[in-house]
This record gives sequence, C-alpha cells and structure tokens, in this order.
Amino acid sequence: MKERDREEYFLGKVQDLLNEGAEHLDPRTRDRLERVRIRALSAGEEKGGFFTPLRWIMIGGFATATMAATALFFWLHTSPPGALPAKQIEDFEIITSREQMDFYQNLDFYRWLATEQNGPGKGKTS
Amino acid sequence: MRCVKEYKRCYDSSRMKGNVDIALETKEPLNRFLAAIERRAFKMARFASGNTDEAMDLVQEAMFQFVRRYSDRPSGEWKTLFYRILQSRITDWHRRTFVRKRFLAWLGRDSQEENPEDPLQALADPASPNPHEQAMRQEERKALEKAIGALSLRQRQAFLLRAWEGMDVRQAAAVMGCSEGSIKTHFFRAVHTLRGLLEDVHP
Repeated sequence: MKERDREEYFLGKVQDLLNEGAEHLDPRTRDRLERVRIRALSAGEEKGGFFTPLRWIMIGGFATATMAATALFFWLHTSPPGALPAKQIEDFEIITSREQMDFYQNLDFYRWLATEQNGPGKGKTS
Repeated sequence: MRCVKEYKRCYDSSRMKGNVDIALETKEPLNRFLAAIERRAFKMARFASGNTDEAMDLVQEAMFQFVRRYSDRPSGEWKTLFYRILQSRITDWHRRTFVRKRFLAWLGRDSQEENPEDPLQALADPASPNPHEQAMRQEERKALEKAIGALSLRQRQAFLLRAWEGMDVRQAAAVMGCSEGSIKTHFFRAVHTLRGLLEDVHP
C-alpha cells in the first residue's frame, strides 16, 4: 500500500470512529444538547431589531448629554462681555436647580413678607 | 368590488396566520442545521476542554451567538460561521483556563479536572450481534479520542475541521482565522502525531 493510500485509509477510519463517537453520546447529553438548541432558537426569535431597550437608553442618554452641552455652550457664549467665568457657572447652577428657581421666582413675595413682619413703617429710617 | 374586499379579508387572515408559520418555517432549516452538527460540535468542545459541562457551555454559547447574529445569512455559510464562533469560544476558554490554572498553581491548589465518563457507556452491549467487535471498536475509539486530546489546540482544530468536518483548506483557514499555510502545517503535524500515537491500534 502506498503512503498516500495508507494516509487516506487512516483518515477514513478516524472519520468513522469519530462519527461513531458522536452517535453514541449518552442519552442525558443528547437531551441537554437538544434543550440548548431549542433555547438558542427561542432566544433568537426574541431579538428585537435595532430599537432594543438598551439602545433606547443609550439614545436617550446621548440626547440628554447633547442638550446639556448645547445649553452650556449658548449660556457661556451669550452672556455679557467681561463677565467672570466663575460667575457664569454659578448662574448656570442657579438656572439648572429647580429648588433655587422657585426661590428666585418667589423673591418678591419674601421681600414683601419681610416688610410686613417688620411693619410698614419699620423699614423706613426717620 | 365585493370580490376585492373578500379577497383582501382572506389575504389579511392568511397573513396573520402566516406570521406564525413563517416564524416556524424560517426556524426549521436552522433547527435542522443545528441538530445535524450539535453532537460533533459537542465532541469538539469536549476534546478541547476535557469536561462535559464546560463543553456543553461552549456549545450553548456558540449556538446562542450564531442564532442571534447569523441566522439571517444564507444557509450555505452557516457551517463556516458556526464553527468559527465555536472555535473562537474554545480558544477563549483555553486562554482563560490557562490563566486560571497558573493562578491556582501559584496558590498551591489544583484546578478541578475532567468528569469521569459514565462507566456504563464503556460496556459492550450484550444485545449487539457481535459484542466482541463492539468492544474492540470502543477501545479503538477511546484510543483515538485520547490521542486527539493529546494534540495541541491548533493542531486539533485543524485536524477535526479538515478530517472530520470535511472542510477544505480555505474554509478551515476562515474558521480558525489564520493563513492557509498554517492550516496545512497544523494538519500535517496532527496526522503525523496521531499516526505515531495510534501505531499499535491502526498500523
């Protein structure tokens, strides 16, 4: 037998034995494989195209970050010339804080209240 | 006009019913493909990991990834794509295990190895027409699997893809992500090593 024929014979026998090995898997392993396959196929059906929840979160996060960056840019670039950067950042914090916004909106009321508590004439100097 | 409406109603109902059938129809070829290769894939993973549970996990990961990413691709490409994922998972597993073994060795502990085979599986079936021959085949199979397990990872991958899966050099190179020359070298060395190891069994 030539060397090439011997190799082909050897490879043929190897293939037969490997096929037999795969066919003679124990029933438990065969069941597990079948379950794995069915789960994989079911999971594949549930795939949700482009707009998956995670994708929505990413898009939402990106949109929020872009809006915040745009707002900051316009705020810094439309403020009066010569204003201090630190002050601008403080102003930005005031604008973005809801609690502080309420306070500043009601500032007139607090001023009136203070005047009333002190008495209408108390604030005046003689 | 009435005919058109009737036709449209029939069309709509058949379309709704058809959505389920279409899902099954599209899934069925994939199911058949995976059913046809799952045992060989498991054996390959078992050769690489030497452990049934690890092999099952590897096959599961490969199947999930394959179905999720490549089920829309033409069926002619499935085999190459599936084995590419599986071989990639096996290689990753090999790297992780290597690091873990080194770490455990450094700690002075041995990693848990190999599940013993079910001893009942090794027994010859007395109902078989020729139990003696069957026992001989089992011995041959065991010797072959042991010898394949002794190959290096790349040699084993190249050998199994070429000799068992019947892939040509180009396909095997695509699966393993290496050059065709590397496949030829790994395959040649694997055959040479196996013939040396199995000289007594397959003279």
